[in-house]
Amino acid sequence: MIRFDNLSKRYTGGFEALRNVSFEMDSGEMAFLTGHSGAGKSTLLKLLMLIERPTAGNLLINGKNLNRLAKSRIPFYRRQLGVVFQNHQLLFDRSVFENVALPLQVSGYSPGEIGRRVRAALDSVGLLDREKQSPIELSGGEQQRVGIARAVVHKPKILLADEPTGNLDPQLSAEIMALFRRFQDVGVTVLVATHDISLINKMNMRIMRLNQGELELDGVAHDID
Amino acid sequence: MLREPLQTLLTVVVIAIALTLPTALYISVENIRQLSGGVESSAQITVFVKKGARPAAIEKLGEQLGKLSGVTSVSYISAQTALEEFNALSGFGSALQYLDENPLPEAFLVQPLLLNDSAKLVAEIRQITLVDDVQLDMEWLSRLDALLDMGRKLVLALGAALGIGVILVVGNTIRLAIQSRRDEIIIVKLVGGTDAYVRRPFLYTGLLFGFFGAMVAALMLIGLGFWLEPSVNDLASLYQSQFRLSGLGVSGFIALLAIGGGVGLAGAWISVSQHMRDIKPR
Ligand SMILES: Nc1ncnc2c1ncn2[C@@H]1O[C@H](COP(=O)(O)OP(=O)(O)O)[C@@H](O)[C@H]1O
Ligand SMILES: [Mg+2]
Repeated sequence: MIRFDNLSKRYTGGFEALRNVSFEMDSGEMAFLTGHSGAGKSTLLKLLMLIERPTAGNLLINGKNLNRLAKSRIPFYRRQLGVVFQNHQLLFDRSVFENVALPLQVSGYSPGEIGRRVRAALDSVGLLDREKQSPIELSGGEQQRVGIARAVVHKPKILLADEPTGNLDPQLSAEIMALFRRFQDVGVTVLVATHDISLINKMNMRIMRLNQGELELDGVAHDID
Repeated sequence: MLREPLQTLLTVVVIAIALTLPTALYISVENIRQLSGGVESSAQITVFVKKGARPAAIEKLGEQLGKLSGVTSVSYISAQTALEEFNALSGFGSALQYLDENPLPEAFLVQPLLLNDSAKLVAEIRQITLVDDVQLDMEWLSRLDALLDMGRKLVLALGAALGIGVILVVGNTIRLAIQSRRDEIIIVKLVGGTDAYVRRPFLYTGLLFGFFGAMVAALMLIGLGFWLEPSVNDLASLYQSQFRLSGLGVSGFIALLAIGGGVGLAGAWISVSQHMRDIKPR
């Protein structure tokens, strides 16, 4: 599903944020991306979202090389992704419903279909009764769940999350992680960047650790310790 | 568009004023042209024949005048006819009875095909030996024509300058709109919105600005018309003219809407393609 093939990313200015990173993820697999602050976690996810482009190496999704993707195809590629950010990026001048509906609107779904899918997504994160509210009226954990609902509303094949539990207490963080596992259970490939080691060590899942832009560890939590 | 009501209002008013000025000038030029068009057909060259010319020679002169190029018609007014007309119109009939002989010359009225030819014709006719004097009644008309020509060029220049102004104003308003919706644009792009999808609402906004500006401009022109009408009518009645001020008309209004919308759209397009580039992801 996802294949990094000797990928490097050097930002304009010369800083090399990723160096020769190689790994593969199968369809329906879930993995955590860890490492110190500045290790390159966000950069790696940005390469996957085509926000940044690699300076060397190949990135293949479903066997297709993203380097060769025409600019006009980028929006259609992004529609296969679901993206969750730490600062959730909700629009506060719109209702919860409208925020979650956004990925469907840009893809041209009918209003009826949008209503059905948005409610299903909100239901899956336990916020069905909040659709008419503004995100500003919600707690941090609830806002993050709205962000997740928006990321999965169009049933993406790949779910990417950058520090989705950054601002949350351990209890809420565990809930969010459990939510991600449920999406993995229905076949979504899930990659979560986090520095919350104590949380993921308990989850017994694949962990990739970046250090100064290099992938220094790749394995299941109990192997690593 | 309605997020910044003051900015929106300001933009529409500026567009309206920019559209009103050249349109008002255009309408003025058209009105004056209409007015002069009525007079143009009566622009005639009066040719006075030398005293004492024999009737046969006068007849030959008439034929000669008719053959000049650029002449549509020639009519003969004998001294006798002229005198009778003068008597009837002036009321000096009784006074003229005391004159021994008719003081009026024999004359021809020459109708030029084009107003522009008349000056050349006048010069040509002056060369003829039997001709005493030539009068072009409507010399001011050709001057007016030149003036109207200038007016039309002025409309174009003013229109172009103010059109560029409108493009800049709309462009700036759209730039502010893009900046204030930056977060939204980023999210829309990240969830797979195409450039066209992101661009579309801003282009509509530019188009609507142009339309509303044109409509307000039309209202301003109607107001201007009402304000000017009494004085125009006074003026017309002084000259015993049937002249009435004519406005933009339906086709003119549609053209104004199209121009306004087009210019608004152009401003939005330029602004969007310029400022969208600055927003990551591309
Ligand atoms: N746009 C950028 N331009 C230059 N340097 C950047 C840019 N984005 C990130 N970096 C640098 O790249 C390194 C990795 O950043 P990032 O991927 O955000 O790390 P992490 O998410 O693991 O904290 C950091 O040192 C950061 O300063
Ligand atoms: Mg980061």
